[in-house]
Amino acid sequence: MKDRLGWFVSIILFVLVLYPLAAVIIQVLLPGVFFGNWQLGDLKLLLEIFNRPLWQKSLENSVLLGLGTTLLATVLGGMLATIRSSWSFPTAKLLDASVWLLIITPSFILAQGWVLFAAGGGIAVNVFGWHWITGAIFQPAGLIFIMTLSKFPFAYLSVHAAMEWKVDQLSQAARLSGASPLTVWRTIQAPLLMPAVFAGAALVFMDTIGDFGLPASIAAVYRFPTLPYSIYSAIYTSPIRFDMAGVLSFYLVLLIGIAMFVQFYAMRRSRFDFLSARAERSIPKPAGKYAALLTTLNLLFLAVVIGIPIGANVLMSVFKTQSAGLKLSNLTLNHYRDLFDSSSLLLKGLGHSLMIAGVAALLGLLFGLCVAYVLTYSQFKFKRTIEVFSIVTLAVPGVVLGIGYIFVWNQKWLDSIGLLLYGTPWILVLAAIAGAIPVITRLMVGAMAKVPHSLLTAAQLQGDTFIGRLRLILIPLIRGALLSAGLAAFGSSVFDLAVNSILFPPSFLTLPVTINKAFEDLDFGYASAATVLGSGIVILIILAVELLLRRKEATA
Amino acid sequence: MKTNRKHWIGTVLLAGLVALTAACGNGNAGNGTNAAAANSGNTETTTPTEAAQTEAPTTKDEGTLTVYLNDFDSIIAPLFEEATGFKLEVVAGNGAEIMSRVEAEKGNPHWDVVWLDAMPSIYGLGASGQLMEGWSPNNVANLTDYAKGFVPEKQWYVPTGAHAAGVIVYNKDKVKAEDAPKSWEDFSNGKYKNLIGMADPAIAAPAYPFVSLFFKEKTIEGGQAYFSSLMDNGLRVYPKNPNVVKALAAGEISIAALQESNAYSMKNDGEPIEIIWPSEGAPASVRVAAIQKDTKNPNAAKAFLEFLLDPKTQQALIDQGDESYFQPSVTGVNAKADRSPDAKLVAADASWASENEAAIKQWFADQSVK
Repeated sequence: MKDRLGWFVSIILFVLVLYPLAAVIIQVLLPGVFFGNWQLGDLKLLLEIFNRPLWQKSLENSVLLGLGTTLLATVLGGMLATIRSSWSFPTAKLLDASVWLLIITPSFILAQGWVLFAAGGGIAVNVFGWHWITGAIFQPAGLIFIMTLSKFPFAYLSVHAAMEWKVDQLSQAARLSGASPLTVWRTIQAPLLMPAVFAGAALVFMDTIGDFGLPASIAAVYRFPTLPYSIYSAIYTSPIRFDMAGVLSFYLVLLIGIAMFVQFYAMRRSRFDFLSARAERSIPKPAGKYAALLTTLNLLFLAVVIGIPIGANVLMSVFKTQSAGLKLSNLTLNHYRDLFDSSSLLLKGLGHSLMIAGVAALLGLLFGLCVAYVLTYSQFKFKRTIEVFSIVTLAVPGVVLGIGYIFVWNQKWLDSIGLLLYGTPWILVLAAIAGAIPVITRLMVGAMAKVPHSLLTAAQLQGDTFIGRLRLILIPLIRGALLSAGLAAFGSSVFDLAVNSILFPPSFLTLPVTINKAFEDLDFGYASAATVLGSGIVILIILAVELLLRRKEATA
Repeated sequence: MKTNRKHWIGTVLLAGLVALTAACGNGNAGNGTNAAAANSGNTETTTPTEAAQTEAPTTKDEGTLTVYLNDFDSIIAPLFEEATGFKLEVVAGNGAEIMSRVEAEKGNPHWDVVWLDAMPSIYGLGASGQLMEGWSPNNVANLTDYAKGFVPEKQWYVPTGAHAAGVIVYNKDKVKAEDAPKSWEDFSNGKYKNLIGMADPAIAAPAYPFVSLFFKEKTIEGGQAYFSSLMDNGLRVYPKNPNVVKALAAGEISIAALQESNAYSMKNDGEPIEIIWPSEGAPASVRVAAIQKDTKNPNAAKAFLEFLLDPKTQQALIDQGDESYFQPSVTGVNAKADRSPDAKLVAADASWASENEAAIKQWFADQSVK
């Protein structure tokens, strides 16, 4: 049975992720394979990355950005998680909420916010008069800084989850044997956390190295080509070269592979099954006299990581002109009025996007549940492979997946069995599910890790069915995580730009495409207003669903 | 018993998936999205009320005409339907996105007509056998002498207008009229060091026609030497024309080679800029329309090309369109009143520009990271 579920999950992952990805990479070997042409490609292209200045630079930049961000974001996320789980202070919950907000907000919106803030003629210059900021941000270190502030949530969540349980007996034994608190931390607590730190670091690295939103938004101001950006140019520069996109994707996948290998290796060396019956849920201690300090620091931090990117969008949406800055005479609601203009396609696009995201979240949740079940409880042979491919869409740029989807879902023979999905909204749903799998699976696995297998086995011994076990035992216990996963998938799918821009069917506009078009035409007011309206509606929907469903949850 | 149940569940899961995906395939007609894609088995034939075609249609159209375009997306469908009775679906994106989709769909195209201001790229589609050949609309008779020169030998496409891929634009507050560059050669003059900007030919659709003319006229080496001298002179390359507009407005640059519509709308927005048409001519970006070889909607597609070469249509594009500054391709149409009367356009030969597109763009992309 479990193997059957394992195979089912493998097949779906293959169709949603592996096959489209392979379809792009195979372009290097057989450029015309999807058009009935079996001619061999030029394999020398693979080595061009060491000759072509643009590619070389892209590789360098990607590695630099990836490593720098991974280092800083892991340290930052780890520190924040440690503080958060050690002490309780007012506004701590706000930090959790912000972390989720950062994870589901697409990077192009965060990056646009930073560009609006820091570019020459941006908000920092016009409103605050900080002329130095443009030079400080638009250089490699500045970009690593922005990336760190956008990607640290992965490290934070990973470490925070690991600190939820503590086994004090180990530390107590050490203290009784005369170890200083520092030694206890260095030799016991820190090593026990290492798997979570590595897992967080790997996620940060993959999400950073595959990120297209930041280099794309920054490109308008500062030239910083990365691998995803050069993939984008290969795909979007006539004459179109899918084989070049394939080469660069190959290197991207290679980098991800290395990152995963390092993670597995590190985990193997530092795996301790330390949770025992004596484990207790760790409860943050009141911060006492430091509460005020922690609160202030927390609010300052949030003002930067959330306030700048999102605040810049909000400000821009009410400015008449960008250059006039923050003055009463320069404020207007006209951009919002334009959104509701009869000729505006935005509301229709928003409707489409919400519908697609909703369907994708539900189906993705169902599938994510299966993946997490296999990863957590089964003995399935290819568990590791499933784990890898459940994360891979985090790192593969949406344009690559999008082109792969066209290759896969636009083959003529599919028409005869009614599966020619390219050109229909369903292609967007499938792509959205693929994009949501990493977040959903991570959350589900985290939640399931806390439900002992013995509960399920006991029910099975009593003759309960598989569905019955899921429905009556597992799902009630992980309800909260299910809800969070579904909502996070929904929120991030609404704004998924890359996939949308290449796959949208004729006359079927979606929200991110509309927003991006406005940004491209430098219609910042309209674009920001659309972003703010869209995010507002998404947040309202999330809150409403939370209120409706969360209340019934039993207190754990 | 237990194993039976397990079998059952696996089957249900798989069956559910198949049902789901099958439903996906058929469901697109009913979801109120109007996305009657070519594959939905839509056999309904559109009956034109006053279709522009002259010969009786031998084949019937199978679905709705789908046009891939990069401009005029908001007005073209109603205009076309009013003129011919045919319905029209558009996929709008920037030139690069459209070309990418066309290329990825090569095995099973979803478009009937492509209409872009990227003549070399469309020429490339013709050369690789993806366009309908040997048919030309009756309205080619309307073409101006200048536009006639753009019709390729095998009649892959028709030109519907041309605009300057770049005119010289300068900021009046920063540069005095007598100091402004008058010709493209002036751009390498040391007194404009770090003042000039342009769009990236590897990204912006009209920027390639701009640079290709220089490469054609000066030969590849000469073109590289010319642009190297500009780069040595501090030329700034921005991804797209709107970015150039922004840089000009923010004072990052004072002089630019700017696409025509962007230049005029900047001037109309009250920015302190002046436009110069160089006497040797501005590189032309020619907008062309072409029909896909295996189109399932040949009647509507042909009607669309006839429609685009109708003076009334081009006048409407100039009066109502978003990219309204262009030189019409048919006679009897008035260009924008404020468009300079001595606007002179020169275009590089499409086949030459198409053959050298990859090499020139790659040279540019590699230069800009150095």
